[in-house]
Amino acid sequence: MTVDAPTSQTADLGPRLEAAHPELNRGLPIPLVGMLLFIASEVMFFGGLFAAYFNARAQAVGGHWGPPEGAHELEAWPLAAILTIILVASSFTMQFGVWAIRRGDQRRLRMWVGVTLLLGILFLAGQLYDYSTLGFGIGDGIFGTTFYTLTGFHGAHVFGGAVGLTILFARANAGQFSARNHIAVEAISMYWHFVDVVWIALFSILYFLK
Amino acid sequence: MRGQVAATRRRTAIRGGLLLALAVVLGGCMLPPEPATTQADATYGLYIFVFALAVLVFVGVEGFILYSVIRYRRRDDRLPDQLHGNNTVEIIWTAIPTVIVFVIFFFSIGTLGVVEARSDDPAVVVEVDGFQWQWTFRYTDDDSDPNNDYTVTGSAAQPPVMVLPVGEPVVVRLRSADVIHSFFVPNFLIKRDLIPLPEGQQLNELEFTIDRVGIYAGQCAEFCGNQHAAMTFTIDAREPADYATWIEAARSGAPPPPPSAAPGGTVIELTADQLAFDTDQIEVPAGEPFVIRLVNNDTVPHDVGIYAGADELFNGEDIPAGGSIDYQVSALEAGEYDFLCTIHPNMNGTLVAQ
Amino acid sequence: MATTTLTPQAESYRRSWVLDWLTTVDHKKIGILYIVNSFLFFFAAGILALVIRTELMVPGLQFLDEPTYNQAFTMHGTIMIFLFVVPILSGFANYIVPLMLGAPDMAFPRINALSFWMLPLGGGLIFSGYLFGGAAAEGWTGYAPLTSDAERFSASVGTDLWILGLVFVGTSSILGSVNFITTIFKMRAPGMTLFRMPIFVWTVLVTAVLILLATPVLTAGLIALFIDRNYGGSFFDPAAGGNPILWQHIFWFFGHPEVYIVILPAMGVVSEILPVFSRKPLFGYRAFVYATVGIGLLSFSVWAHHMFTTGKVFLPFFAFMTTLIGIPTGVKMFNWMATMWRGSISFTTPMLFAIGFITMFLIGGISGVMLASPAIDFHMQDTYFVVAHLHYVFFGGSVFGIFAASYFWFPKMFGRRLNERLGKIHFWIHFIGFNLAFFPMHSLGILGMPRRVADYSPDAGWTIYNLVSTVGAFMIAVSIIPFLINVVATLINGERVGDDPWEANTLEWATTSPPPPYNFDTLPPIRSERPVFDLRHKHDAEHLAADASIVEAPGSHA
Ligand code: HEA
Ligand code: HEA
Ligand code: CUA
Ligand SMILES: [Cu+2]
Repeated sequence: MTVDAPTSQTADLGPRLEAAHPELNRGLPIPLVGMLLFIASEVMFFGGLFAAYFNARAQAVGGHWGPPEGAHELEAWPLAAILTIILVASSFTMQFGVWAIRRGDQRRLRMWVGVTLLLGILFLAGQLYDYSTLGFGIGDGIFGTTFYTLTGFHGAHVFGGAVGLTILFARANAGQFSARNHIAVEAISMYWHFVDVVWIALFSILYFLK
Repeated sequence: MRGQVAATRRRTAIRGGLLLALAVVLGGCMLPPEPATTQADATYGLYIFVFALAVLVFVGVEGFILYSVIRYRRRDDRLPDQLHGNNTVEIIWTAIPTVIVFVIFFFSIGTLGVVEARSDDPAVVVEVDGFQWQWTFRYTDDDSDPNNDYTVTGSAAQPPVMVLPVGEPVVVRLRSADVIHSFFVPNFLIKRDLIPLPEGQQLNELEFTIDRVGIYAGQCAEFCGNQHAAMTFTIDAREPADYATWIEAARSGAPPPPPSAAPGGTVIELTADQLAFDTDQIEVPAGEPFVIRLVNNDTVPHDVGIYAGADELFNGEDIPAGGSIDYQVSALEAGEYDFLCTIHPNMNGTLVAQ
Repeated sequence: MATTTLTPQAESYRRSWVLDWLTTVDHKKIGILYIVNSFLFFFAAGILALVIRTELMVPGLQFLDEPTYNQAFTMHGTIMIFLFVVPILSGFANYIVPLMLGAPDMAFPRINALSFWMLPLGGGLIFSGYLFGGAAAEGWTGYAPLTSDAERFSASVGTDLWILGLVFVGTSSILGSVNFITTIFKMRAPGMTLFRMPIFVWTVLVTAVLILLATPVLTAGLIALFIDRNYGGSFFDPAAGGNPILWQHIFWFFGHPEVYIVILPAMGVVSEILPVFSRKPLFGYRAFVYATVGIGLLSFSVWAHHMFTTGKVFLPFFAFMTTLIGIPTGVKMFNWMATMWRGSISFTTPMLFAIGFITMFLIGGISGVMLASPAIDFHMQDTYFVVAHLHYVFFGGSVFGIFAASYFWFPKMFGRRLNERLGKIHFWIHFIGFNLAFFPMHSLGILGMPRRVADYSPDAGWTIYNLVSTVGAFMIAVSIIPFLINVVATLINGERVGDDPWEANTLEWATTSPPPPYNFDTLPPIRSERPVFDLRHKHDAEHLAADASIVEAPGSHA
């Protein structure tokens, strides 16, 4: 038996479902829902790495936990602290960019995205420099392994965010965003804040938790 | 229409018959090996209990499905009652499995207590070292002098035997220096992993009291690489008096009596002295296992390996200066092979199987 | 209501159909790509299974050596799980979920295509080990330190390729799950409230959440493994402060949710099929939804039941949580039974496979509960009893569900119904072969035959069971032949059956078969979880009222 639906009872559905049914448009826009879910998966990813870190720490022989013999201890000041300030600052500049475009201010958006990108690059450069001075490697025992894996994957995420920011910057320069249409800006900024939060967790755990 | 109904009925009948037949034929094959330790007795009891519950659930559920399928097959085009649900029955059939599950859990924990119990003063402690791909059993005693310990290391050709007394608590301490292995004796209904652990972590232990004299097969149960299947061993449970004689002989360095599981066969004598064997030609019967009795009169350790070209057919354990051993070698096809001391490969010769 | 009629956009240029399929972002085509790709991997892994079974048929090493055997079961397990069952269920979900929701496509069509194309890539990487001196051979669970210490224990690059491949496959599922969750929350047609969604959609939703939260943890573990193997890391190296047990925790924290990832959508399929062919609604829809969510929640708290014999986990807690999972699963089981109870059951091929699912999954579930008792598990762990359990749930569960789905939705995808006669032949050989192949494995395990061994002693008394099992495995292989013939013959010359051949319930049957691009020209009103049923019987009711000579069947009020 086939369904020959009486037309009087049916609702027509267009390809642009949302345009046809504005009530579906309530709540977060689709791309942002996607980004939030993706961030949730990233949280679990870092959760796995943190679990490995804490596991290793908990079983450290005689409670000793630190870089291998001969290398100096991790120092929060000055470099790591400065890097933290840079990254936290970049979260603010990113948010200023978002607020700017919500007001429709394209010029400020360009500026803030540019600044954020620069700060991101600065952070990465600083971290690479830090690596070169540490005096131990990823193969030097469990401390080195967890340290480089955690900071390295965080760095990779900063790099990914920087790529996103570059695209955003190019699109902003091309004038593609407006007060009504700037979902990509919102999405990248969510991601960027997430990366920042991960760093704050990393910084406090790696450098301060004794 | 009629024919179709008859056909479905026939099919459901066949299906029901099949399920029943399966249950009967294979149900009999669902019992564990006869338990050989007091702990295993407890596990066996728990198993029977849980299995009975399992059969109950199985028969109940499958029976109901079978009944529905036969009774409510489609006969006409009438639409059956559109029943959407019923909260009372939902509650009932949430409660039923809950009760079953709690009962199972309760008894499980009880049995677990029996199986995991530790006595203060085990009669025998054996340190078990798993390695790729064999075992070393080390019998320690109260003094700390390792010379009084007796150690046996297995090889693929000759898996080790662990001789144990019945009726007394035995503890095995499980250690690995390479990958994870697992010490498994089916008749004891238990296994436990040998884990390469970081410093400062507690080794795994198993305790059991064997209650029947007998030979029990054991095997590594955790996949550990290529020769995982070859990590077998044997437990030889004897009366305490027999065990005492055996361990005394073993400890005093006398060649341990050949394992009772050994199939015997021709014995070929081979003596090593001054970095040479006393012969470069040995003959063995083809197609049956044989024994090489190596007597080491040298001042360094030696062993014997048998090769066909580059293929290693046998590699015996190292024998210290002044020691001797019976290597049990499994059957070889007729032909010429090389034998040599794997520590000093220029101690070699030809082995002819005929 | 706004009326935007949809006419498929005329193609302004012609593309070859190959290019069309390679570049498609249409969820239906991607769904079919998923399904075809997964079946190819199924055949590959199935052939490996036959290789395994042939070697084990009788004692002795007949035609494999140990390394080859170890590669065979590792590849078999990995491919079956990661490249057959998980992706094929995603494939069906891809095709069906937007249709069931009345949506024009998935939320992110291009990401959808990306998720798909990562699969052949990842699968290719995993298999390519065979070209570089041997595939991975450490079991699908890849336990450290066997896997983590390349220098000492597992030098083959096959293992590295296995890790990389799994990272791709995992990323594919993560992106897929983002897509599903967004689609389900944001793309439902008007009237499609959460509690009117078909159960299949609910199971896909819960599955997607499990994937989203569990898979990244595996990715983290795989990366740690890769670092240990290649960059001198020591996550799992006990000599340098690491711990091999950590791998087991990471793996099973992912691995247990994974097993529900492969069973929940199959349960969803069965929950769609049983009502259609019993001509009754699913009994206890809400209870079913709660049970699904409950299983999802519990699945994160039971992982250490795979680690009972390590002596390193708190047994009572994990045993307790594990047995608890039997309760929501039992609720589902009973609801299925009540759905058939007093129904009007017709034995079409999809229905046979669905009944096969519930009867066989039950056995796997029961053996699971037995394994959940630590003392019993001490005996059964790593024996063939576990192999029996896992095939009863994977094969008796998921694979039966997959074939049920294939027969059920084939007419939707191609407008033609698979031949019922061949389908029934397929089912019966499959069903009998399956039981012959896997039931004896219970006995083998109870008698103490360890898994992952290429050879066993002729004196152990295991030979007869192994022999029967091998015969069964070949029967399963034979049963696939009528299925393949059926698919090919039907595509060429099958019975055209219209839009709704099964008289089904859910929205996908309210459009044409196959559906047009963007799926629906018109949508029926959605007033329950069975909109198409409502529509059909509203219609009937009008006829009945008009024609007083027809006696109304008891209870047929719409
Ligand atoms: C689809 C996959 C799937 C599913 C659904 C399950 C479901 C379950 N599994 Fe299984 N399991 C695997 C796949 C799966 N498993 C795999 C692949 C392995 C091996 C991995 C490896 O090592 O390679 C494994 C291994 C495994 C182990 C470890 C064995 C070992 O290695 O030592 C355990 C132990 O607790 C276990 C338990 C369970 C339980 C309790 C369930 C429960 O969810 C089952 C619940 C269902 C029912 C109980 C039936 C219906 C209920 C009723 C009719 C109600 C009344 C019944 C009762 C109250 C009993 N499983
Ligand atoms: C969904 C999962 C799934 C499925 C469907 C199967 C299906 C099968 N499995 Fe598998 N199996 C696993 C998952 C699965 N398995 C896992 C996870 C393991 C553990 C691995 C490990 O230990 O690491 C395992 C391990 C495992 C073992 C244990 C190995 C060991 O421990 O040593 C065995 C042994 O018999 C086995 C057998 C089979 C058989 C005979 C089938 C059969 O049902 C297969 C039937 C299919 C076919 C026979 C294919 C048909 C194809 C054709 C006929 C070809 C036609 C082709 C063309 C025209 C191109 N499996
Ligand atoms: Cu040792 Cu398996
Ligand atoms: Cu599990």
